[in-house]
Amino acid sequence: MTFNIQHFIKTIILGLFLWFFIDLHTSGDILKYVNPKYEYISKIAVGIFILLFVIQLFRILQPKQHTHHICSSTCNHDHGNGHFSLARLVSYGIITFPIITGFSFEPATLNASIAGNKGSFLPPVQQNNDESPDLFENANTLAEHENIDIYSEDYLPIENNNYMSNKEYEEKVKSFEASETIHMSEDMFGTYYGAINDNLSTYIGKTIKISGFVYKEEGFNANQFVVSRFMITHCLADASILGFLTEIDEAFELAEDTWIEIEGVLDVTNYGGVEIPVIKTTEWQVIDEPSEPYVYPVLTLTS
Amino acid sequence: MQHSHHSSGNMLTMGLLIIFLIFVLINSILPFNESSISSFQQLNTIFLSILIEAIPFVLIGVLISGFIQIFITEDHIRAWIPKNKAKAVFMSCVVGSLFPACECGIVPIVRRLISKGVPLYAGIGFLLTGPLINPIVILSTYMAFGNDFRMALMRMGIGFIAAFVIAFIIGILFNSNQLKHKEPSTLKKEESIFNRVKGMLHHSVDEFFDMSKYLIIGAFVASALQVYVSMQSFLLFEDNIFYTSFVMMGLAYFLSLCSEADAFIGASFRNLFPSTSILAFLVYGPMIDLKNTIMLLSVFKAKFVFILFILITSIVFIFVHLTTFI
Repeated sequence: MTFNIQHFIKTIILGLFLWFFIDLHTSGDILKYVNPKYEYISKIAVGIFILLFVIQLFRILQPKQHTHHICSSTCNHDHGNGHFSLARLVSYGIITFPIITGFSFEPATLNASIAGNKGSFLPPVQQNNDESPDLFENANTLAEHENIDIYSEDYLPIENNNYMSNKEYEEKVKSFEASETIHMSEDMFGTYYGAINDNLSTYIGKTIKISGFVYKEEGFNANQFVVSRFMITHCLADASILGFLTEIDEAFELAEDTWIEIEGVLDVTNYGGVEIPVIKTTEWQVIDEPSEPYVYPVLTLTS
Repeated sequence: MQHSHHSSGNMLTMGLLIIFLIFVLINSILPFNESSISSFQQLNTIFLSILIEAIPFVLIGVLISGFIQIFITEDHIRAWIPKNKAKAVFMSCVVGSLFPACECGIVPIVRRLISKGVPLYAGIGFLLTGPLINPIVILSTYMAFGNDFRMALMRMGIGFIAAFVIAFIIGILFNSNQLKHKEPSTLKKEESIFNRVKGMLHHSVDEFFDMSKYLIIGAFVASALQVYVSMQSFLLFEDNIFYTSFVMMGLAYFLSLCSEADAFIGASFRNLFPSTSILAFLVYGPMIDLKNTIMLLSVFKAKFVFILFILITSIVFIFVHLTTFI
């Protein structure tokens, strides 16, 4: 029997991946990285890691002359039988890198700087007009706010997962349409958001309660900011920002990424030639970042 | 990191990438103030998020690849693939369309198929349609565009035709299999089923280590771009359709989104850009993007990957713009 150092290292790395994935699930941190519907597929990944880990375990100690027992020597990838080179060391380093950063850094919540890079929340204002004091006159009419109506149709039930039964979902939509106070709860955030942007006139004058983080863009007035949430469809790379333009006299005091809870009245404003909802705040308070900072599209159970 | 005589080319590619990574790392952390650490944490979070989402698909991909390696023989492949080039390309595109894969999970499968004797053009047809056309992608596109089937159908139709043409041209341009590593392996038929399954899993492990390092590098670069590059800097001449398509294809390439999720991102641009440019985004991204280019470079010769990249870019660009005449 010979001890194979390469297979030993691979076994350790597989074990670390396995541990990392299990840890993601037991700590619940997985929800800070991907949409909950990915929990199942990543549980499958845990299963595959266990299988591969066990298989790999038996390769550490190999009988001599038993290296390529099933594929020929021309087989074209690393079976870990070559000598230890710098290249191998580098490649093991790369593979361990995400595990190290994964264990050593807490998952961060996406913040306003990412929101800014994602593209404008509001219609783009052409750069050469930046100095202009009156934003509305010079604003570009090209577009509506980038993310506003993507999820609008989510308020038709999507056939898929089971966070909510169809019936429960429909009831929520119905009571939402009828009620005078809109509570932007996490589970229905995308749906309500889409509905309000689709039929803005229906909702003007209603009271709205919402919590989110402060996001500001160049061109906002001193009393304006966006109270926003990130919506995750699959993973954080596809996060898009949802939010309402909000007006508070003290807005300039609020730093970006501050979490706040506000209550106000929905109104409409014209921004860059596009009508968008605006919240005229009546009450507000700074809150702690919620344990689940993101929102997800609603998935209903149809069967 | 294959047998020693192959490793010099890989070393070079890897070396360059490592230098780039170190550069990004230093740039992001060096000023060592609160905001640089915070932006590194943002980068790290997006990076891990892409990996956590992609790794299960890569694992499934390497299991399938291991299965092909051990259980599928060259004789099977010879019997299945039509002799006629056009027919073979068409068949590979159809098989790819039925096969639910993501663009990183499919690379090890295609590599295995080609080394087993599947002609290069058929392998490429499969590589292009696998992530682009499948039930999950169609459903998410349908949902993202307001439960409207038009964009989903255009995506499938144009994608299929473009994939067919690209794979066919590849068939004309290249006669050899373009793999970095030569001759396919043969398996001994007398092995017991237990040994075969064990061999399959050994392959899967090795393939996982082979592939994941390229995925990790690609995911890191893609997330660095998200954190440090503002999308708005691209939006200079919004009214030129060729320009906007070019920008959208660039976005698709550098964001390296999973094909199941990119429809939602694409849809978010539809008030900003003409639908032709969004179609370009949706067709191009699943065929080639940053993370999968890096994976392809580990499998195929660099020259081939470069030509494939040029071909995909120009064919998709042309075909998408032809739709404006329909």
